[in-house]
Amino acid sequence: MTDRRHLDDLLRAAEGDAGCNAGEDILDAYVELELAGEDPASTYPGTAIHLRSCPGCKADHEGLLEAARRFGDEKPG
Amino acid sequence: MHDAESKEWIGRLRPGHPRHQDAVARLHAVLVRVAVHELSRRRGQLGAIAGPELDDLAQQAADDALVSILRRHEDFRGLSRFTTWAYKFVIFEVSGKVARHAWRRRTPSDDEPAWDEVPDRLTPRPGDRLEQREQLEILSTAIGELTDRQHEVFVAVALNDIPIDVLALQLGSNRNAIYKNLFDARRTLRGRLAAAGHPVAEEEAAA
Repeated sequence: MTDRRHLDDLLRAAEGDAGCNAGEDILDAYVELELAGEDPASTYPGTAIHLRSCPGCKADHEGLLEAARRFGDEKPG
Repeated sequence: MHDAESKEWIGRLRPGHPRHQDAVARLHAVLVRVAVHELSRRRGQLGAIAGPELDDLAQQAADDALVSILRRHEDFRGLSRFTTWAYKFVIFEVSGKVARHAWRRRTPSDDEPAWDEVPDRLTPRPGDRLEQREQLEILSTAIGELTDRQHEVFVAVALNDIPIDVLALQLGSNRNAIYKNLFDARRTLRGRLAAAGHPVAEEEAAA
């Protein structure tokens, strides 16, 4: 419990955290940058910080990343 | 800047397009597949949910996401492919429905730790090194001195791994507000440890 890494995770509260709402609008753009091999943290630093700390947004991000990878090429017909 | 396929999606989803109905049906079918996949990824929160119930949840998530997408698709700015933008809606729907399902199925007889109890692992043990014992004692004391809401949120989410959206439902709140409570609690606890000579360094590497 008290090793340094675990304690850092338990108490993670980094300055610059954009919060949950800020990430909702841009989560698709954030994921697209990742899929393109770019660093989304340089465009959306506050959301990158947030996704390391918020379990709910982290799960949504992981889900969208996987969905875009698996089903991103679907066409309208 | 929209890519060609995104333009095609947007164009066909406009009412009046000759293939509007086909495009809507096609999008709904894809949203169902994404929802099924996402529900399966979050299966750990769903308990013993059976196949038909899982399919029903996926249909509901796809239905609700489709309504949002059709209402807002002209707002699509092209910062991602259209599909990535659309899937965001169904991921959020699944997230909310999984939380509601997990919240509803909880009963007082659940053989799980109480949300508001500090786990035993925060109690110093004889084998701990002196520094660890001091850290744990400071941390335990500081947790007890958080505001009521910060204490409730930190103990449930950080220590007892209660999903943040489930706790938000329990407290009649929302994810953003609960996260703010969690953030403030963590910052307070970090401050207390630092003031007592046990600073917790921020990890620089991405998680």
